[in-house]
Amino acid sequence: MRIVEAYIGEYASGKSEVAVNRAVFLAREKRKITIVDLDLVEPCYTLRRLKKLLNEQGIEVIAWETEELLGLGETGALLHPSMRWALQKSGDIILDIGYGVYGAKVLNLLEGAASDPDLRIYAVINLGRSMTSTKEEVLEYLRTLGRVDGLINNSHLGEQTSKNFLEQASEIMEEVSEIVAIPIIATTVTEEMAAYLSKSYTHPIWPLQRYMHNSFW
Amino acid sequence: MAEKPITGEKKAFMTGNEVVAWAALCAGVDIMYGYPITPQNEIMHYWTRLVPKHGRKFMQTEDEISAGFTTLGGVMAGKKAFTATAGPGNVLMQESMTMAEMMRIPSVVVVQQRGGPSTATVIYAQQEVTMTTLGGNGEGFRVVYSTANHQELFDYTIKSFNTAWKYRFPTFILGDGYQAKMRDSVVMYDPEERGIQMVPTEPFVGKPGCPGQDRAPTHLRNTYNIEEELEEVVLQYLADYKKMAPEIVEYETFATEEDCDILLVSHGIVSRAALAAVKTLREQGMKVGYFRPITLRPFPVKELQKEASKVGKILVAESALGQFNRLVKEALYGMDKAPQIVELFRPGVGITDEEIMKKTKEVL
Repeated sequence: MRIVEAYIGEYASGKSEVAVNRAVFLAREKRKITIVDLDLVEPCYTLRRLKKLLNEQGIEVIAWETEELLGLGETGALLHPSMRWALQKSGDIILDIGYGVYGAKVLNLLEGAASDPDLRIYAVINLGRSMTSTKEEVLEYLRTLGRVDGLINNSHLGEQTSKNFLEQASEIMEEVSEIVAIPIIATTVTEEMAAYLSKSYTHPIWPLQRYMHNSFW
Repeated sequence: MAEKPITGEKKAFMTGNEVVAWAALCAGVDIMYGYPITPQNEIMHYWTRLVPKHGRKFMQTEDEISAGFTTLGGVMAGKKAFTATAGPGNVLMQESMTMAEMMRIPSVVVVQQRGGPSTATVIYAQQEVTMTTLGGNGEGFRVVYSTANHQELFDYTIKSFNTAWKYRFPTFILGDGYQAKMRDSVVMYDPEERGIQMVPTEPFVGKPGCPGQDRAPTHLRNTYNIEEELEEVVLQYLADYKKMAPEIVEYETFATEEDCDILLVSHGIVSRAALAAVKTLREQGMKVGYFRPITLRPFPVKELQKEASKVGKILVAESALGQFNRLVKEALYGMDKAPQIVELFRPGVGITDEEIMKKTKEVL
């Protein structure tokens, strides 16, 4: 079964980190995998710097090279043709819908997005983010997103992550999942956080390695 | 009176721009006037999301000239107001902020530096130091806080309103696009719960009482008839500025009580790399000290001279072509024996601790 996943979410919720980890995981399973950088606001700052590292792991990366861009600054971004036609590629596809403001609307720019039977849109949620820190805020936020097929619980507080926080976060996510009737696809966990996990989850745990700090932020 | 946005402490994982929006909220800001420019846009994005929940206001203006002047207008109406900008937007705000200098209007502007000159790059540099400290056609009667991390963006954004309203000089938070967009955890709090007294605002216009009878008439002016009138006003402002300076000057040192062969001087986010460099070099047995002005205006002159008098060399590291160095040189002027200055200038580019260490080793 072909895997086609689009990661959307609040600004700085962890979309790119989760998308990159997912691509790495699929590559390790010997699957043919392409990751597409769909950050149309900060095109030079997300996956571009990780290209070489990801290529070495057998992952094809569709992202702008700075030499290809005209230096339009903030006046506008270009959608590379290979981004527009990305869903035509064979193998698995991970779409990192960057910057977050438009949710899944960016998918309107991709050929075949509306009809792709394998496409799943996952919302990455971090309860440590100030605008999605309570059940009500997460529910309010989800209502702005349009189509969401699954939730990713990427809750953390950076260096201040605590066991208490993780437990509360997962409880809130489970309540949210029930209310909106959208499954939690996974909870992401770094090695440091793994020590804090005491409860057993009914959904998968995805181990997370930090890649994005080798990008810009 | 609206509820406090935060009670106790709130830990969150945020980008620097969001921190500024939340700090403004916690400081009791009534209104933000804004015009978009990268890399500060998210200050507006988050402020406008917080506004409906906390009964505050926002106005998008037609450009930064207007954003600067409307902010002054809001302040003069007695509101706690601020704006934020960067690069070319900062250039446009010089007119309004110079007026704030002339009229002693307590404006607060958050500047998230990007590359220059002109449009240059959208994310990072330290190339707005000259403009923010000494811009416009003024005499530099400004307060400028150069922050280095998210907690400081929170603490100093709140502080800037108090500094501005207490001393009545336009006040700036000088950050940069990396601070604006990097992600980090921060502890947010209600300032009054931490014993920080928030200076109340007051309107400049519409004061109670009859002018000429109950009080002096309100005469708000930024223009004078003859040269001597202006000189008197400017010299009075200078006296006020000099009186204020020792009360608000801030700086940081590390390892300067020990023997030093060289002092690493930097500000803002580059000082994080400098501090890391000093710690590593000390572990390697090198005699290196660290000095970081937090207020670029007023600059910690005495304090820098004190540390600089103990060393033969100082290394100035900045992501600009000597804008910060110019302030350093001015501060060192008049010393009996000023140290030699070694320059590590990367205009528009970030500086790592490794680069600072490499340069230090080259010159020692």
